[in-house]
Amino acid sequence: MLIDIQDVYKIYGEGTEAEVRALDGVSLTIDRGEFVAVVGQSGSGKSTLMNILGCLDVPTRGTYLIDGQDVDELDDAQLSHIRNKQVGFIFQSYNLIQNLTAYENVELPLIYQNVSVFRRKEMVLEAMERVGVADRWKHHPSEMSGGQQQRVAIARAIAAKPPIIMADEPTGALDSHTGKEVLHFLQELNKEGSTIILITHDNSIAATARRVVRISDGKIIEDKEQEVDWL
Amino acid sequence: MKLGQAMKMAFKSISGSKVRSFLTMLGIIIGVASVMAIVSVMMGMTKQSLSYYEKMGTNRLEVYAYLYNGNSVFDDLYDYCLHLDQYVLGATPAGNMGATVIYEDKNSDSMEYSPSLYFGSDQYSVVNNFQIEKGRDLSKIDVDNYSNVCVMGARAAQNFFDFTDPVGKEVRVNGLPFTVIGVYKEKDAENSGWSMDNMILFPYTAARNLGQNLDMSQVYVKCRDANSVKQAKAMIEGFLTGICGDPNDWQNQKGYFYTYSDNQWQEVQNEQATMMSLVLGGIAGISLLVGGIGIMNIMLVTVTERTREIGIRRAIGAQRKSIVAQFLIEAGTICGIGGIFGVALGTILTLIGGKLLLGGMILWPSMGITLGAVLFSVLLGVIFGMYPAIKASGLQPVVALRAD
Repeated sequence: MLIDIQDVYKIYGEGTEAEVRALDGVSLTIDRGEFVAVVGQSGSGKSTLMNILGCLDVPTRGTYLIDGQDVDELDDAQLSHIRNKQVGFIFQSYNLIQNLTAYENVELPLIYQNVSVFRRKEMVLEAMERVGVADRWKHHPSEMSGGQQQRVAIARAIAAKPPIIMADEPTGALDSHTGKEVLHFLQELNKEGSTIILITHDNSIAATARRVVRISDGKIIEDKEQEVDWL
Repeated sequence: MKLGQAMKMAFKSISGSKVRSFLTMLGIIIGVASVMAIVSVMMGMTKQSLSYYEKMGTNRLEVYAYLYNGNSVFDDLYDYCLHLDQYVLGATPAGNMGATVIYEDKNSDSMEYSPSLYFGSDQYSVVNNFQIEKGRDLSKIDVDNYSNVCVMGARAAQNFFDFTDPVGKEVRVNGLPFTVIGVYKEKDAENSGWSMDNMILFPYTAARNLGQNLDMSQVYVKCRDANSVKQAKAMIEGFLTGICGDPNDWQNQKGYFYTYSDNQWQEVQNEQATMMSLVLGGIAGISLLVGGIGIMNIMLVTVTERTREIGIRRAIGAQRKSIVAQFLIEAGTICGIGGIFGVALGTILTLIGGKLLLGGMILWPSMGITLGAVLFSVLLGVIFGMYPAIKASGLQPVVALRAD
């Protein structure tokens, strides 16, 4: 089991009148190589779930085992290591560093992995060529279109070849054509063996995934396998 | 992550945000340069006025002391001053006498400018800033042996001997033969008539042989420096109180004394200088503070932007310590470069200030002030440059990512 969360809660302002249960007793297991779409309305807790799965946030209660390791017992260096090597993030707002060029952004996770300069160059260019933005390597994020920025962000997520890709509304800020390309790319990565967790509010986007986990008010209300809409 | 990588990351970040880096540096440059220039010019002014007084006052202590029984206190005072050699360079009676000096057809009474005739100790030249040019100076032996010798100032020597060598020649003083043993170097060339060089010096012991009732009550004591004057003054006053009694006691039947030094004027001057340095130091401190606030502002304004950046870096795998190391190096580098430019600009301003305000004086900034100003602004820059890193790297990455 690659990902295993049991009875996880994320509660803001617990015990006060303004208490918000972003996650309300969620249990979920994901196997290696799955393509899971987590679907829910805005405020349903789907992003919170992804943040916890990606070790960007900690649950209020509950256990989380990643690759058999209890996340609660890991220190900062080990958590950083997981975010660095196990997970590649793709965000709705790209989250590129504005002061760095496309190349430098993609290079960043490899630097934190202490990959040598020469190997780094190979891996960065490979990732950028794969998503079709290699010719933009010198540009800063502000000099690129949204689609190009998201491709750079994807290149950054896959540069270190992590086994898990987590994408939070990756097409949310893109036109439908570009959005389709991005989803197609995620399917390809999945075919090559990557585990994909896709967060979305859009059922048509969720249709690209083999498994759909529906979430509402912090609870999982449906978890089903489906026919894949191959792009 | 290795240190080299942290450094590369920091440099990339600096070159990637040139405006922020420049504004931070500007705060440091202005702060450091203005403090350096202000304090250095101020210190130059103080030094200049002090050296002016050193020339004028020449650290000389004037002592006036006598006993009601008519005995001289000079010999005792002279011996006492020998013990004070830590502070005192020499002591001599300060007085002149009336006599007629004749050499061949030259007569001091009939000269257009008669030479001043002084009696003194072997330390007369030290006290009065004369240097021997030909022959030799008065010695202790001359004084102890009542030798009939004299030393001439350059102008007097010229008046009596034209351009022939006076050393070894014999002059008659009130009819008694005196040998000229030396000539002093000219020190007052500007005045031709009543020149300080138009003088003849006799040992005070031999001067007594001339049947003169010499007034030995006035003594000049030459001290090493301004501080020595204070020390010597206090000690000599104590010593003289023992001999002459307390000059402020109206029932005192033994004698009387007082001491005086030009340095008392210097003290007033020093007080004014201290006052000025306080005022200007305050101005300098304020300008450093303003520069510091500028640095703080720039650093704090960018905190949000940088918090998000830190969130991104954390999300893709940066450890807390890598983030902190990067920001430390980044802030340190920006502030260090700012400091260097600040010192350069401050040096230029100081040199210009010396030229314009202190009459072309070559003025160099003081090490202490420079170091202090640089340390202060670099420290401030580093602390506030580190602030977002320390704050944001402690957050959950998702919280830092949400900053906008």
